Order: sequence, then structure tokens, then C-alpha cells
Amino acid sequence: MRGMETVVIRGRGAVPGIATGPAMVCRETIQGWSGIDEKTGKVIEKGHPAEGQTIRGVVLILSGGKGSNGWSSHFHAARIRGISPCALVFPRIDSRTGVAAVVCGVPTVVDLEEDPFKIIENGDQVTVDGNSGTLTIYKGPFPTKGA
Amino acid sequence: MNLTEEERRMLDGQLGPLKRKALEFVVSYANVLGAESLCRVSKAHLFCGAHHYLEAVRSTDMDEVISEMWFCSGETIPFDSVGCFAQSDCSPVDHLNWLKMGCTEEEFLKNERYLDRCLRAGVHLVGSCVPYMTGFIPLRGEHYVTTESHAVLMMNSLWGACANADGIEAAFCSAVCARTPRWGMHVPESRKGTHLFYLTCEPETVEDWDLVGYAVGLRLPPHSVPILAGNVENADMVRLKSCFAAMATTAGPELCHILGVTPEAPTLASCLSPSGLEDEVEIGPKQLRQAREILCDSRPGRVDYISLGCPHYSIDQVGEVASWLKGKKVFPGTTLHVWTALPIRAVADRCGYTRTIEEAGGTLMVGSCPLVSEKWPSGTTAMAFDSAKQAHYIKPLTDAKVYFGSSGECLEAAVSGRWGR
Repeated sequence: MRGMETVVIRGRGAVPGIATGPAMVCRETIQGWSGIDEKTGKVIEKGHPAEGQTIRGVVLILSGGKGSNGWSSHFHAARIRGISPCALVFPRIDSRTGVAAVVCGVPTVVDLEEDPFKIIENGDQVTVDGNSGTLTIYKGPFPTKGA
Repeated sequence: MNLTEEERRMLDGQLGPLKRKALEFVVSYANVLGAESLCRVSKAHLFCGAHHYLEAVRSTDMDEVISEMWFCSGETIPFDSVGCFAQSDCSPVDHLNWLKMGCTEEEFLKNERYLDRCLRAGVHLVGSCVPYMTGFIPLRGEHYVTTESHAVLMMNSLWGACANADGIEAAFCSAVCARTPRWGMHVPESRKGTHLFYLTCEPETVEDWDLVGYAVGLRLPPHSVPILAGNVENADMVRLKSCFAAMATTAGPELCHILGVTPEAPTLASCLSPSGLEDEVEIGPKQLRQAREILCDSRPGRVDYISLGCPHYSIDQVGEVASWLKGKKVFPGTTLHVWTALPIRAVADRCGYTRTIEEAGGTLMVGSCPLVSEKWPSGTTAMAFDSAKQAHYIKPLTDAKVYFGSSGECLEAAVSGRWGR
């Protein structure tokens, strides 16, 4: 449903909690091995549209997992080093991303009713509510406190 | 979540703290997936060993590291038992030839300590990515877990067994509590084909099938189940292990039907999703050429390091390498490693293949690979692999040139010290 400045997408709350951050939109999956540098959080997959960007502090919106079954362990190792997305969004859940959601433990919404890749752009502020299973996307200037 | 009486007692801690923690993880994972119940796991294939990613936990207490990284537990709980048949996957060290890998004694001993903990918990130390060649053969409908992406494809596709590609933490937890979410490949309705790949190329060699897998994966969207059709007549286990390793590199499939070959695909109708095909894609010679161009550096030159055997070689493949190398010598300054599983190495020893490879100047290695160990000879400026998976994943980790080709091309490079003319 579209508002003047915000868009709400409904899905299923997978990991509870609420977090807001800038969107990092990955329509293309990120591979397991050699996908994310656990020490910096940067995407190192050759040729990936997000190559060089970091997962630190972002709302990571990702189409799914691919490659190594150890996919989640790279997010796990990064999280232990203090590098983690502030929230996760998987438009359709799968086994690799499912384990990653558990090990990251950040608010996670999955199985969305709308295609987020048509709505959310890199850098949009997004609030992920893992309790209610909703995303709120702020398309205009991000509302400040008291606004 | 519908839990059995035994599962409730496990969650209450009545079966010990490790099983409680393991089942808590599996239940959390099931909730994320939206699964309503769990199924009983009979086999587990586990990424045991002192792997590099464990170094994220800054502790010398192995139990603390294992608790966090394998069981997602901030509380230290000794890993002292598994609840099903369990084998180890690759570790970062070949316990026989660790010096030739460039491992330090400290790295070797640390890895041995981690493996010893697994052994004491009841894990057989097979140390291979090809568990199905070393006694780990789940039957049709049997539920298992594995930490190796191509092994999921092999065992789900060729035998109709049931597992998801759900990773290291879930695999260890499932091994302990013998449960996994009843979801995905564990549910028959989820196993139907969505994308048809029609092979108009004529794949014959292992390299051809490796490229088929790579090319299919490049065109396979997430959450899909591919069906291979067309020229699939000479698919066999060795060709398919390379095909599936590559396919599970460029994509994330957990099952691949092969029309007329795999048990759930005697006909297209029998393996097709009720909603029909989402796409049909041709894989011809052009697609294989493109895959090879992505994988192999186009500049000819000196090669320092050759690694064969990803996935680990079968005894046939080890024998073929020995036969090829008989009477030849690896080029001075070039290193040749041939990787396999420990039980297969025992047969190679018995058959004289190990000695023939060593007399030529190569080494038959076990239990690891360059990708898992992140080890190759220091100062390497160019390396060659007969594996799309290995070539693809190593590229971002090195400034060295990376070549991909058949095992024959790699062996030619090993004795000439050069790739190309």
C-alpha cells in the first residue's frame, strides 16, 4: 500500500525485533565462498552489482542464497567481528538464508507479498519489523525525531 | 510448531544441554522457514576441523569456539555426542602431507585437536566432500544433512534422498538432535522441476559436464529445481559430481532432475511442477565456450601450481592420473597436487597409484583442497584447476592467473610448466 512518503510491504516476521537502516538491494544472490569478506563485510564476488559495498549496518534485501552450504557461516563470522546488517529481508525464504537469519539474529522479514526490487532502491531508509512482518520504506526525506 | 513428546523433553533439557541447545537452533530455523514440524535425520556430513572462519571468535578455548560457531551458543557446552551416523567433510589440513600444503605444525596440531573432539563425539573422520563415495549413501526418502553443496545435489538427485543446503550450524545442530525442519527438499511437493535445460551440446568428458553445470547455474534463478534433458545419455557419477559442483557454485539448487536418468524423473510429467515450466533454456556449444572463457585466463604463460580433484577424485580418476604420469616428470618448480578422500587413497596406495604420482613429482593429497585450506605454494603467479568450482572461488582470493581445463590439459601443464602455447 502506497502513502505519500512511505510504502509498506507485508510479509512474514521470521526473527523478531525492529530496526531501521539504509537499504542495500541485491536482486542477484551473493555466493557463499568468496562472496563476503568476513573481516570487512564487503561483497567480494567478482562482477556482483554490489561488489565493494559493505553489509555493515544496512537493511540487506537479498533474493536468496547460492553456492556453498556454508553460506550462513560467513554472515556468522562477520557478526562475531561486529559486522552485521541491522536487518534482513528475504523476499522468498530458502534454506541458506534461513540459517543466516538465525545466526545473525537481527530483525528479519521474509516471504513478501510484493516484489521489493520494484519498490526499494539502494539507500532508501527501511524499517524492518520482524514482529508484525512488515517493511516500511521511506521514499522521501527520512523523517527526523519529532517530525 | 508441532513437536513430539521426545522433542519436548529434549527442549526441556531432559536429554542434556547440548541436545537442548541443538534443538533450540533447529526450532528457530524451522520458525524462520515457516515449517510446522521436524523430521528425523539419520545421517550427517559435517564441516569438522579448525577452519579459518572459526578465528572470528578470539579465544583459545576450543569448546567456546565450537559452542559459538557450530551451535550458536554463547554459553560453552562441550560437543560430546551426535544423535545419528556422522562423517566429516573436508578440513583445512591434510594430516599426512600438511608440510607439502605449507601448513605449520601449529596449524596441523590445532586441526587435529578439533578433529579429535569430533571423533570423541562420534563423527567418523573420513574428511571428504564426496561422502557418497565413502559409505554415506542415504536412500530414497531418507532425511540427512550435509555441509557440502554438491553432495546435496548428488544424493537428492541420484538417490531421491532428502536434504536442504542449510549449512554448517544447522548441520551440526541436526547431527546432535537428529532433527531438521520438515520443509523444502524434505517435502515431496517441493521437489518438482521448474526450469528445463535442454542440452544440445554433446557433453562427453568430465570437463564438458563441469561446464554444463556452470552454464546451467548461471541461468538458474533462486528457488528453482532444474531438469536436464536432451543429450544426457552419458551422465555418470563422476561426470555428475563435477557438473553438480559447478551448478552449486553459480546457483543454489538442491535437486536436479535428469530426464530418464534420475529416479524421480522417468518422464517429464512425473517430475514437473503442477504450475508448469517457468522457463526453457538451451545449453549448446556456445554456452559451454562462454563458461570456459569466464573460468580460464586467456593469457598463456608459466604455471606454478596445478590442483586436480575437486570434488575429490574417485579411484578411477586417481588411477587415470597415475597412468598418464607414468614415466613423466612434473616440471621443476611446478607443484602438482591430486586431491582425494582418505579411504580412496588407501586403495591408491594398494594399487601403486600413489607411488607412481610421487615418482613423477606430484603428491596424492587427502582430506582438504586449496579452497577450504586457502593454501597454495607461496609466490604462485599462476595456477590451474580441472574444476570450475575451484577456479571460480579461488579467483577473488588471489592476484595469480587462474586457468581452468580438463585433467589432461592440467597434466600437460604440470609437465611443461606452461599453460597454452
